[in-house]
Amino acid sequence: MALKIDRLNKNYDEITLFRDFSISFTEGIITCILGPSGCGKTTLLNIIGGITRPGSGNMSGFEDKRMSYIFQDPRLLQWKTVRGNIEFVMNRNMTDRERHRESDRLIRLVELEGFAGYYPSQLSGGMRQRVSIARAFACHSDIILMDEPLKGLDIALKQNMIRSFTRIWKTDRRTVIFVSHDVEEAILLGEEIIVLSRPPVKIVAHENNNEPFESRRSGSAATERLKQILFSSLGQNG
Amino acid sequence: MKISITKKQYLGFASVVAMLILWQLLAMYFDSDVIVPSPGKTLITAIGLFNDPDFISVVGTTIIRGLAGFVISAFLGMLLGIIAGLSSGFNALLQPFLVTVRSVPVIALILLALIWFTPGSVPVFIALLTMFPFICTNVIDGIRSVDPDIIVMAKFYRISRSRIISEVYIPAIMPFIISGASSAMGIGWRAIIIGEVLSQPRYGIGTMMQAEQTFLNVDAVIAWTIIAVLISYCFEKVIRWSEHKIVTWRD
Repeated sequence: MALKIDRLNKNYDEITLFRDFSISFTEGIITCILGPSGCGKTTLLNIIGGITRPGSGNMSGFEDKRMSYIFQDPRLLQWKTVRGNIEFVMNRNMTDRERHRESDRLIRLVELEGFAGYYPSQLSGGMRQRVSIARAFACHSDIILMDEPLKGLDIALKQNMIRSFTRIWKTDRRTVIFVSHDVEEAILLGEEIIVLSRPPVKIVAHENNNEPFESRRSGSAATERLKQILFSSLGQNG
Repeated sequence: MKISITKKQYLGFASVVAMLILWQLLAMYFDSDVIVPSPGKTLITAIGLFNDPDFISVVGTTIIRGLAGFVISAFLGMLLGIIAGLSSGFNALLQPFLVTVRSVPVIALILLALIWFTPGSVPVFIALLTMFPFICTNVIDGIRSVDPDIIVMAKFYRISRSRIISEVYIPAIMPFIISGASSAMGIGWRAIIIGEVLSQPRYGIGTMMQAEQTFLNVDAVIAWTIIAVLISYCFEKVIRWSEHKIVTWRD
C-alpha cells in the first residue's frame, strides 16, 4: 500500500503553502523532495511526521507507521555518549546486551568505531550528524524522514555522510523521504526525485534515478540528463 | 593554563596573608583582647575548641541542621521547580510565593519562627526558607533552558514522559541545580547561625558564639566564626567536586 497525501491544504503566516496538494511515495526506497528554499519542504516533512498539523487533507498509509527523523541539526543529548544517544531511542523491550550489540553494529556502519564513549561536545559536526543517522536506524521505524541533513557541510563531508547513510541503508532498506534544495544531493541519494515549485506548491517533475549509488558521482550520460531535467524544473520556478 | 592556576593560587594565598597582617596590626593598635584579639591567640583558642568535649555535638548539630535544610529545600525546589518549569500556569502560581520568600528579611522570618517552632528546629526552618527559592528558581531556569528542538526529537521517537524527565530534563538542569545549591549553601550557613544565635538551641555554633559574646570572649567568638567559615568552605568544595563528577559531559 502506497503512502499518500491527498488534497492537502496548509497556510503559514498568511502564505498559502499547499492548496489541494497531493503526493504519493513508494515504500522501501529513498525519495527526495527537491525544491527551492522556503517552498514548504520542511513543513511537508513535518506534516508527514506529525510534528505539524495539516490545515486539511487526507493522509493514508501513514497510520501506525513508526518514523525516525534525521533533523537538519543533529539534536543529540549533550549528556549522553555516542552510544547513549543511539540507545536512547531503542526499544525498551530489548535487553542491555541486545542494545549494546545493536549500537555497536550501527556505530561501525557510520564509521565511529572507538568513539562510543565520546560526548557530542567532543565530536566534529559531521560526526554528530552521523550519530543522528545511526540513531534514526536504531529506532525500529518504518519510515525515515530527513531534513537537509547535509546542509552546510563541505563536499568531502557530504560524500562521507552519503556513504555512511547508503551503507547503513543497504543493510536495512526502509522507506526514506528526504527534502533538499540541492540537485547534487538529490541525485547522490534519491531513487525517486520529486521536484516542487514555490508556494502554492505543485509537483513540477517526478523522476526516477536508476543509477546505482556507487556510479552516481561519475556523471554518466543518464545522470547528466537527469541533472539537466532537475535543474530546468527547479529553474522554471526558481 | 597550568601557570595561570598556580598564579591564582599564589594570589589567593597572598590575599589571606594580607588579611592576617591587617588583623595583627589592628590587634597591636587596639592592644586589647576584648576588642581585637591577635590572630595567634585566636588560633590557640580555636585549637582549644577542638578539645572541648561538646565540640563534636556543637559542630555536628549545626551541620545536621544545614544538611536537613538543604535536603528538604533541594527536594522541594526540584519538585516544584520542575513542575513550574514545565507548566506556565503553575509557575504563575509559584512566582509570587518565591518573590515573597526571597524579599522577606531573614530576621523577620526568625522572629516569627521563634514563636512557632522549638529552638532546635528554628534554624532548619530558616535554612529551608533561604535555600529553597535559590534552588527552585535555578531549576525553573534550567528547565526553561532546555532546547525545545530536543524535546521535539524525544517526542518524535516516542520517548515516554517519565524518561523525558529523567533522561532529558534532569541531566539538563544538573548544572543549574549545582550552581543553585552552591549559592543556597553560602546563604544557608549564615542563616542557620543567625537562627541559632537567636533561638539558642542546646547545641549549635550560633549558641556558642552568643554565649562567648556575653562574656566578651572575643577570641572565642572569632574562633567559632573561623570554624563556621571552614564548614561553609568544605561544603562549597564538596559541591564543586560533585559538579565535576556529575557534569562530566561538558568540555
